[in-house]
Amino acid sequence: MEDERLRKVGALQTFVSRPELGSVFGLAIIVITFMTLTSISGTFSAMWTNPIGIQAWVELAAFVGILGIGASLLMIAGEFDLSMGANIALAGHSFALLLLFGVPVVPAIFLTFVELAILGYIIGSIVVRTGLPSFIVTLGFWFASRGFAVFLSQTLVNQSRLSVKTQLKPPAGGGEDPTLIDNIFAFDKAFGLPFDAEVYYFVILVIITAFMLHRTRYGNWIYAAGGDAQAARAVGVPVNRVKISLFMVSTCLACLLGILTVMTSGASDPKAGDFRELHAIAAAVIGGCALMGGYGSVIGAVLGALIFAIASRGINFVPFIDNNLFRVMLGFLVLGAALLNQFLRNRVLRG
Amino acid sequence: MTATIQLKGVSKFFGNIIALKDISFEAHKGEVTALLGDNGAGKSTLIKCLSGVHTPDEGEILIEGKPVKFGSPRQAAAAGIGTVYQDLALQPLMSVSRNFFLGREISKGLFLDLNKMSEVTRQEMAKLGIDVADPNQPIGTLSGGQRQTLAIARAIYFGAKVLILDEPTSALGQKQQLEVLRTVNEVRNRNDIAIIFITHNDLHARLIGDRFTFLNRGRILADGTKSEIDPDNLRNLMAGGAELAELEAELKN
Ligand SMILES: Nc1ncnc2c1ncn2[C@@H]1O[C@H](COP(=O)(O)OP(=O)(O)OP(=O)(O)O)[C@@H](O)[C@H]1O
Ligand SMILES: [Mg+2]
Repeated sequence: MEDERLRKVGALQTFVSRPELGSVFGLAIIVITFMTLTSISGTFSAMWTNPIGIQAWVELAAFVGILGIGASLLMIAGEFDLSMGANIALAGHSFALLLLFGVPVVPAIFLTFVELAILGYIIGSIVVRTGLPSFIVTLGFWFASRGFAVFLSQTLVNQSRLSVKTQLKPPAGGGEDPTLIDNIFAFDKAFGLPFDAEVYYFVILVIITAFMLHRTRYGNWIYAAGGDAQAARAVGVPVNRVKISLFMVSTCLACLLGILTVMTSGASDPKAGDFRELHAIAAAVIGGCALMGGYGSVIGAVLGALIFAIASRGINFVPFIDNNLFRVMLGFLVLGAALLNQFLRNRVLRG
Repeated sequence: MTATIQLKGVSKFFGNIIALKDISFEAHKGEVTALLGDNGAGKSTLIKCLSGVHTPDEGEILIEGKPVKFGSPRQAAAAGIGTVYQDLALQPLMSVSRNFFLGREISKGLFLDLNKMSEVTRQEMAKLGIDVADPNQPIGTLSGGQRQTLAIARAIYFGAKVLILDEPTSALGQKQQLEVLRTVNEVRNRNDIAIIFITHNDLHARLIGDRFTFLNRGRILADGTKSEIDPDNLRNLMAGGAELAELEAELKN
């Protein structure tokens, strides 16, 4: 039997086969690069030790990272959601409109989540029923969601930017205090915490989704749905249900961000979340998700979001590099990461 | 002894194509029944009737003497028909043990019981003569023959009484073909599973088969046990049998 024995897989090789390996290197490179650059321009402490400097990139990482969770789960299942950014605006506007029409904060939050969950169900159903690529289907919603949000607000209140500062203030005559709810839902700085709410949601969501992905049967099915859907169906995996549920996760994450943005800024902007879907997909790709599905991790997307945020905010601390050059750099970063990840993935396939 | 699975006068038509006509056929536990025939003879159609993909238009299927009707592959699987297709239905980037349990994972509370899954995978593979050192490695690290064995082990573990293998060796290199034959032999030695083995290779059929059924254009051309069919005749039948004789006659004119 000796000749049939599989060769042992050592610890190093197991490590090398983790999908987020590329982004670990990427993060190290970005951190070292920006530490060096900020040292040169004398802004090291402003970016890396000053609380406001840290907040700047941590909060951006959390925002992009929350969407990145959805993007990476969908990509692992072999799908895409280009409408995430637009859905942030749709959620923000829906929430703000409900407030403007006198709906109290808690029911307004609930109703907005219901709306976005239904939207996710619709998007997912279209994708699995028609067999159209999700890239195309969600491109449609990329136009439709934001368009619908602005159409609604202009028709109903004749405004495209909705201020809800008054609605989020405590009522003069006592009663239910919406700022209290605001503080619970949006954490805020009321608890004496240094970061915006996104950061805490991000940490909690990452822990939950990482466990779900690697330690539950649902997670197993997500990988199978994106790896070989036909083979997965043959062994009884409900591939369509898994995919539809992930589109719902994606729209609900956008909903969370939309509501949080309104709560922290006191207004809903029609441009909210613009281009964020691309940043989230970039984070997922940098983090090792395969575009054809079946491979990737949430942790990778976290690292990808950190890389994106450090590079994106860091450039403001390095005045001698042109801002446009940053875009060029980011572009090559995505390409480089995709190449590295493809190389690592092929190693896994070959063994 | 009643056959583990038996077909009586089964026919299947696709429009006006007669894919199968009046097929009677049986497979017994602890035996390999080799299903042979040229391209388009109806072998795949026959096993699709057995595994619930098609419903026969005529005739009946009996499992351990009791008539059954399958409306879906799921029903056939529940009745103990394990089919291993050529593409194996495996996830290339997933680990060996997760592939083994995909769709039927073991959970402890909310979470997967990964240790148990690894342990069972390793045990079941060992029963078929393959020692998987680390069931957590991606399946991409297994050879084609080992993957075939995994698909077989999975079918058996989840209760197959009849194991159907559709051309399990055709996509493999020489050495791995032998590995699969060895696996099939291990399964036969368990003595509780009937194996239906489809192949184009007369050498493999002779090596592993206990019974032979030859299909030609949807009908049974010949069948018999190993002792009833002599090797030359077997090769002759494999090579087209009657048609070969016809051609020979034509060429002589
Ligand atoms: N779904 C179908 N619709 C119409 N005709 C079919 C269908 N499936 C099979 N056939 C026809 O039935 C006949 C038998 O096909 P089958 O696939 O069973 O052959 P086979 O013996 O498995 O051949 P091979 O060795 O090439 O795999 C062929 O003429 C085929 O074209
Ligand atoms: Mg066939």
